[in-house]
Amino acid sequence: MTKQWTGIATFAALAASVPFFLGDNPYIADILITMLMMAALASAWNIVGGYAGQFSFGHAAYFGAGAYTTSILLTASSIALPLCIGAGILAASLIALLTGAIVFRLRGHYFALASIAVAEIVRLTAHNLEITGGAQGLLITDITFGNLDLNSKEPFYFAMLFLLVTTLAISLLVRHSRAGYFLLAIREDQDAAASLGINLYLWKNMALVISAALASVAGSIYAVYIRFIDTSAVLSLRLSIEIILTTIIGGVGTLWGPVLGAALLVSLAEALRSNLAGELLVNSGIITEASPIESFLKNNLAHAHVLVYGIITVLCILNLPKGILGLFRRKQRT
Amino acid sequence: MTAPLLEITSLSKYFGGNAAVSDVSFSVEKQRIVGLIGPNGSGKTTLFNCITGYYPAASGRVRFCGCDITGMKPDRVCRLGMVRTWQRVKPLAGLNVLENVMTGAFCRTRSASEARKIALHRLEMLGLDNVAQKTAGDLPIGLKKKLELARALATGPKLLLLDEVCGGLNFTETQELLEIIRGIREKGTAVVFIEHDMKAVTGLCDRIVVLKSGEKLAEGLPSEITSNPAVIAAYLGTGYSHA
Repeated sequence: MTKQWTGIATFAALAASVPFFLGDNPYIADILITMLMMAALASAWNIVGGYAGQFSFGHAAYFGAGAYTTSILLTASSIALPLCIGAGILAASLIALLTGAIVFRLRGHYFALASIAVAEIVRLTAHNLEITGGAQGLLITDITFGNLDLNSKEPFYFAMLFLLVTTLAISLLVRHSRAGYFLLAIREDQDAAASLGINLYLWKNMALVISAALASVAGSIYAVYIRFIDTSAVLSLRLSIEIILTTIIGGVGTLWGPVLGAALLVSLAEALRSNLAGELLVNSGIITEASPIESFLKNNLAHAHVLVYGIITVLCILNLPKGILGLFRRKQRT
Repeated sequence: MTAPLLEITSLSKYFGGNAAVSDVSFSVEKQRIVGLIGPNGSGKTTLFNCITGYYPAASGRVRFCGCDITGMKPDRVCRLGMVRTWQRVKPLAGLNVLENVMTGAFCRTRSASEARKIALHRLEMLGLDNVAQKTAGDLPIGLKKKLELARALATGPKLLLLDEVCGGLNFTETQELLEIIRGIREKGTAVVFIEHDMKAVTGLCDRIVVLKSGEKLAEGLPSEITSNPAVIAAYLGTGYSHA
């Protein structure tokens, strides 16, 4: 466990020094912020999905609850930013508790199904209410926080990094405490867990609320960073699924799996979107810029990153049930 | 006379129209070992499931330590001090042996280091200390049965319900386990155990309850049970009643 605390500290220090080497490169900064955000979201999901084994297919609802609460409060009032984020945490926890309180009375796949339903209800509600800007979404026009320059990317890089490190620290604390043993027991065998005195209902709800609260903070930071949110950006089923895939591909139920998954998938998505493969082939002289292969890649690959995600996921599930992190673990043990 | 630790009064449970357990009453005193025997399908495991809250009973009451626990959830029953093991073992397969037992120990403590201490002690008691770091799912059946027992003991029970812990074990392992169960009783825990092995039951139990087709056929001292014609008939068929 000490080793893992050192790991988190090292990671925090290394990641915090990145902006000083990077200088002013908004493109790379944006990718890194997205990476940190996905890592934080996947880590948060991992607490309820990886540790407790309760697969939530609706984490976008918690992310969106944070994003919308913060946006609404910032535009409609002069409430300070930290309080807005706090309100976002409350909103997400409330949604989580309402879902969990009803659905965790049942076992099996009901939670997965209900989490989709709840997320869709939240999405449709936000899509149709006036206060959430309906289909047009919400625009944050004017925001200040202390004397930070919120037009630069740096504060958001550090905010997301802080959130990720906090999420990792909470995960590690949970994992090695009584709560962690209880969650893992629930994942492994619910009957056995109950026979050992574990209140399944209580601990599943606990895991879900912690996870939802952390996801909502990511949503709040995202809203202030992008300054524009709508339902397709922050409440889509696609986001929920990307969070799950990031965790599964990286290594579900592990501390670093979600981080690894986010690093891989976000860079992969960006590489496909920017047609990196095509450019590489052109630059290395294998194909020419005007060739049909290049235009095929340019026209298709850029939109295919979700397809590529899918293929990678299938390959991971078939060959690497413990995710990419499992590859290293297996070698370590034998 | 003090109230018994566990008191079951005319408990019944039906599956569809079949009475799996029908009007069964018996009680377990402190620090006693009670054997629960009966042919396959006589309702032994169903009875365990009703007592520990996995099945709701159709009628009847269960009292434990002076409180009515009829219909109470399994986790609360365990926290009150009654823990069961499973005939078809249920290890927390992905965790290692130590972590399995620690999970049980957390029933009585919040501290991880305390839970670890309790768990290591239980592992040593059952001779599992040399496999502490092995993944529970990879253990052979004999060790899985022992793990069930170690994990249940780690919850600090007043009463232990063992569902065929000796099933699938060889002679030496069975003897070893019976010795451990005797030791558990010495330390103040009462035990109810389901067993097929008549020899094991008669050597160990203070009392024996015999079930047949969900009904209580007989109850008494081991010597009374082994000479009871109805029990012999249920086990061996009527032709042997005077053997």
